[in-house]
Amino acid sequence: MSDSANASKPSSSVKLVLLGEAAVGKSSLVLRFVNNDFQENKEPTIGAAFLTQKCSLPTRTIKFEIWDTAGQERFASLAPMYYRNAQAALVVYDITKPSSLTKAKHWVAELQRQASPGIVIALVGNKSDLASDNGNGNESNSSGGSGGNPGEPGPDAETTGDAISAGQDGEGNNDAIEGSGENAEEESDEAAARDARKVSTREARTYAEEESLLFFETSAKTGTNVTEVFTAIANAIPESSLKGGRGAGAGTGQTGLGGRAAEDSRVNLGDRATATAKEGCAC
Amino acid sequence: MESLTETLWDVTISGTGLAQSLLALALSRSGKKVLHVDKNKYYGGSEAAFSLQEAQEWVDLVNAESSQMPFEDAQVYIPSDSTETGVGSLSPSRAYTLALSPQLIYSRSQLLPTLVSSKVYRQLEFQAVGSWWVHAHAGGSRDTDADALRGLYRVPSSREDVFADEMITTKSKRTLMRFLRHIGKAQQEDQGPSDAEEEDLSMSFPEYLTSRFQVPEELHEPLLSLSLSQDAPQQTPASFAIPRVKRHLASIGVFGAGFGSLLAKWGGGSEISQVGCRALAVGGGVYVLNTGVQAISKVADLAHLAVELSNGETVTSRHVVGSHWDLPSPSTPDCQKVARSITIVASPLDHLFPVTAEGSPIPSGAVVVFPGSALGQEGDPPVYLLAHSSETGECPLGQSVIYGSVAIPGPRGHTLLESAVEKLVHPARILWSLRYTQLGRASAVDDAAQAVQSSGFAENVFCFPPPSLDLAFDDGLIDLVRAVWRGVMGDEARDEEFLNFDDREEQLVDA
Repeated sequence: MSDSANASKPSSSVKLVLLGEAAVGKSSLVLRFVNNDFQENKEPTIGAAFLTQKCSLPTRTIKFEIWDTAGQERFASLAPMYYRNAQAALVVYDITKPSSLTKAKHWVAELQRQASPGIVIALVGNKSDLASDNGNGNESNSSGGSGGNPGEPGPDAETTGDAISAGQDGEGNNDAIEGSGENAEEESDEAAARDARKVSTREARTYAEEESLLFFETSAKTGTNVTEVFTAIANAIPESSLKGGRGAGAGTGQTGLGGRAAEDSRVNLGDRATATAKEGCAC
Repeated sequence: MESLTETLWDVTISGTGLAQSLLALALSRSGKKVLHVDKNKYYGGSEAAFSLQEAQEWVDLVNAESSQMPFEDAQVYIPSDSTETGVGSLSPSRAYTLALSPQLIYSRSQLLPTLVSSKVYRQLEFQAVGSWWVHAHAGGSRDTDADALRGLYRVPSSREDVFADEMITTKSKRTLMRFLRHIGKAQQEDQGPSDAEEEDLSMSFPEYLTSRFQVPEELHEPLLSLSLSQDAPQQTPASFAIPRVKRHLASIGVFGAGFGSLLAKWGGGSEISQVGCRALAVGGGVYVLNTGVQAISKVADLAHLAVELSNGETVTSRHVVGSHWDLPSPSTPDCQKVARSITIVASPLDHLFPVTAEGSPIPSGAVVVFPGSALGQEGDPPVYLLAHSSETGECPLGQSVIYGSVAIPGPRGHTLLESAVEKLVHPARILWSLRYTQLGRASAVDDAAQAVQSSGFAENVFCFPPPSLDLAFDDGLIDLVRAVWRGVMGDEARDEEFLNFDDREEQLVDA
């Protein structure tokens, strides 16, 4: 059923890697995006997980191959393998935990140093449901249109955020919890009503602008802005790098432009290989 | 997360080369506790692929620690004019992914059904290796054909090709067709044990072609090139060449018209290695780079091994797997040495990658053979050049990468490589090149189970033999991986489950 309309649209695979400190909600974001589900006390991801989800744009369908790395990985040995040839990276921090933004900045620097030059990076502040201003709702403005240019975030959430506080008490800024040292992740819903935010939208956005990153604040718990992040990434991937499935742009970021379409060089192993396997080897 | 030393590992794998990584893939759904380490900072072992910067670091490593790796005498050459900026100059380091051990994969290779049944083929992208070229002496002919002017002769690899070939006389065509028919017939009869009449295959391949089929001499080198034999013609027995020429011909058309072998985009074996490691990571395996195995000893009274890592920790493991270069090896394996080179060329060399049949994909790879007689002297082994276009993702648009190999190590081998590459790419400029000597095994492994257990290692330590120097993927590697997998799985090993998995997509997997 997905559909005669979609069937005529070109479909491309995009390899996306998730990076970020432990317990910022990487897997939860993906779970929300893929299954529209949220688990309150999700077990930490052990190795890494691989999921796929389609994202339908007006002119094409993007199939995300999502590589969810384990934030608690101690040996920093997996990440290089994951961002190899990735066209997009989602770098996640927790808006209630300043140290997680520091870690996110490290990831961004490493991606800029090591990953494919054309990689689209989105900086995502998760757990926006724990902030009283909860101002992230209208961040989606930046991705709603077809532009989704990196470094062009939406209107300032802090000034307009109060309008969107459905289901929240919206007590306004409450500094009581600031500096209390409590671990926001373990706060109950009740605590979430107070403001656990410790990373301001402005600070993170300024950084994202400087580094030309897409920027969003999300809540995997409520679903706020989750789909928008992925849509914005899908829109920001240059058409030229979509030609040959994943990563035609890994070389210079311009491979594929004016060149022979990579699709013309692709050999499909799929069903055919299964069939020949049964025929046995002739030699 | 608990510490490495607190876990009793079912298996510790050392090294992330193709063999170890396919084992990682095989164990990725086993539920075994696997620790996978590599003394290097990169994945892929001797199959690794590098940016320019990484290649330079690798060169320094090889030269500083020879005998620790199956490589020697590595050196980077940068022509003085290639650092100029502008069109046709060297791009930034990360625009390149250069493979140390490129191999083509025949369509009939057992590797492909294995990648399909283990479901990882979707994370790989395969491209066609199209034409086989033989460099012939410039014949002084008045031929206006551009390839002929370059001294390149495209080897016919199908009946249609033979008929269309303008270089072969009608009489020669007849003998060639007889030979090809004979080979095709033998293929069908391979099913039964009665393999036609007993042939004497101990003679050299050229001798065989002459005495059995009167194939004229000018076709010997082209036919030999289809076998990818790295020995000189007279040193290549018919028993070696014939099954390989058969393999070549039988592979054409399996995945589409006009080609019979494939390459994996983004650096071949390196990419396949990483896909294997990722699969195990998804399955809960723990990865530690920059950490090797320094010593292995038996834990008293227990069937466990104490494995001392280079980071100072000692872990406990039921099994340890690696290669001679990844384990504290009690012996040095016998290796053959070949000279290899990687050359970045400031030209797409489009003429090497013609579409080979109607409707076939645009090839990203080509094989060019320089017979010994074309470069040095009669009796020298041939130089093989694997040309990769920018479609492989290994270099930027407008450039190409030439991987060279010749079975003569040392300066003489490198001189031959250099001369072959220059002949091939002239007048295009060479932007960068890397030369090295590679150690490995030239022949196939007879008994996989024995091969992985020999060499004087302790019980429950498996050691892969040196990597194959074959220019085509050696299916024997899968047997070696299966042998180790059986050893690690013990009674739980069910052969039908070896690298045969259900889809893992669309679900969240936490180990």
